[in-house]
Amino acid sequence: MNNIALGKYIPLNSFVHKLDPRTKIIAMMFLLVAIFIPVGFTGYGIIGVFLIIALILSKLSFSFVWQSFKPTLFMLVFLLAINMFIIKTGDILLTIGTFNLYSGAVIQTVYIVLRLLLMIVITTMLTATTKPLDLTMGLEDLLSPLAKLNVPTHDIAMMISLALRFIPTLLEEAQRILKAQASRGVDMESGSFKEKIQAILSLIVPLFVSSFQKADDLADAMEARGYVVGAKRVRYKQLKFTFSDFITLVAVIGILVGLILLKVL
Amino acid sequence: MSIHFEKVDHIYSPNTVFEFKALEDVDLDINMGKITAIIGATGSGKTTLVQHLNGLLLPSKGFLTVNDFTIKADEKPKKIKDLRKQVGLVFQFAEYQLFEETLIKDVAFGPKNFGVSEQDAEEIAARALVTVGIEPKDFNKSPLELSGGQKRRVAIAGILAMSPSILVLDEPTAGLDPQGAKSMMELFNTLNKEKGITVLIVTHNMEHVLEYCDEVVVLENGKVIMHTDKKEFFRNDQYMEKASIDPPVIIAFKKMCEEHGVNFNSDVLTIDKLVNEILKKRGRR
Repeated sequence: MNNIALGKYIPLNSFVHKLDPRTKIIAMMFLLVAIFIPVGFTGYGIIGVFLIIALILSKLSFSFVWQSFKPTLFMLVFLLAINMFIIKTGDILLTIGTFNLYSGAVIQTVYIVLRLLLMIVITTMLTATTKPLDLTMGLEDLLSPLAKLNVPTHDIAMMISLALRFIPTLLEEAQRILKAQASRGVDMESGSFKEKIQAILSLIVPLFVSSFQKADDLADAMEARGYVVGAKRVRYKQLKFTFSDFITLVAVIGILVGLILLKVL
Repeated sequence: MSIHFEKVDHIYSPNTVFEFKALEDVDLDINMGKITAIIGATGSGKTTLVQHLNGLLLPSKGFLTVNDFTIKADEKPKKIKDLRKQVGLVFQFAEYQLFEETLIKDVAFGPKNFGVSEQDAEEIAARALVTVGIEPKDFNKSPLELSGGQKRRVAIAGILAMSPSILVLDEPTAGLDPQGAKSMMELFNTLNKEKGITVLIVTHNMEHVLEYCDEVVVLENGKVIMHTDKKEFFRNDQYMEKASIDPPVIIAFKKMCEEHGVNFNSDVLTIDKLVNEILKKRGRR
């Protein structure tokens, strides 16, 4: 359970790590939009080159990104299989009996693979180089215009950061309860359907009870330290826009605009 | 019937940045029929050590034998359920594992997992609950209605209902009031003396070690640095000083007397005996 690469923060000291979280969030959104501008392989090539440079600057290893990509491989095989039967455009590449493989199917699948790969690299880069707390802080700042419309942006950001904070705690708790119930003869792997339901219940119920308990305790602890919902508050840590943020944004906007022009012209 | 560790290592998350060696080269023989205390600072590997006893954790290197079972590196022991029936492991803050609607159902859960019929399981559960001091009128209450100490008793009953021959307790008295802690220790003492159950207790409470335990195993940074009987352990207070463990009051008192030139026999480990000794010394004067 501790080997989840997706969404894990990797503490390193790099150009990308030091960027303002707001820059990274905006860059991610722009790039995700750019991926869906249909200019074929040229577009993916441009984004790909940009990401490879960013990846090198971030000091993350390529194998780490590959690890995040691995779980989707199964889905890709599945997609290829479906495309082979459905898409019937382009030239016939291969004929087996009555079945024809069209070049359109292959190209479509490669498109999907590339898109998915790029999307995963982009999101992994964001979460791997930004501390969860900085991420929520950036999100809160970006949402702040909505506060004028009475959207509780601070509360939303606080909830996100609390949820992120409790993921490892809950995993640990689940493992502990799992072990305790295993000591009482619970077998999660074998047994009849009824026994399995019982086994899962013996994990879920205590986990719920202790989660509610923890939530209560946390609420009390926050109130004891003067937290008031909806109160105006200042920040200890200030986000700062630097020159590298400027460069990054210019590059990303350049890519987006460039791809749109390519498509229109 | 034996518990025997041989060159056991345990490494958490091997080959990652989070790699951590929790146990190193542990050789240990636990004497059956005794109450053994396992002590050591936080993070010294106590919990890791006891979780090997019923196969929840497997050694990274070396092996251990518990009764007829062998627990080896990277190989799930056969009939692990039978092993878990024989070795009852009570976790730290065990009250969090209760999940059934009523106490009796929760305690019967263990025996039922080991193939006892519903009716027999409830009978066994009733007996276990009485053993830990829960009254029959409370059997159909929800665990959520009980106090923390009572919940812990129910959780312990849940383990006792499997009638283990070895009972392992990870800090069973943590967070209990002194009275509750004392009666909890009395319970383990009775189980040991009357039913001959081998008891292993992970604890930080030296008073309990002095009063109830027969032997002491000391862990430091994942290594067993001492395994001796209680008298020997308290005779030599160098270790306690080094590990900054507060000695039991009676030991501290004797030490202060010795500093003022009054010496007591090192067998004097209870208040009764100490009072007698003091009276004897006064009579002699």
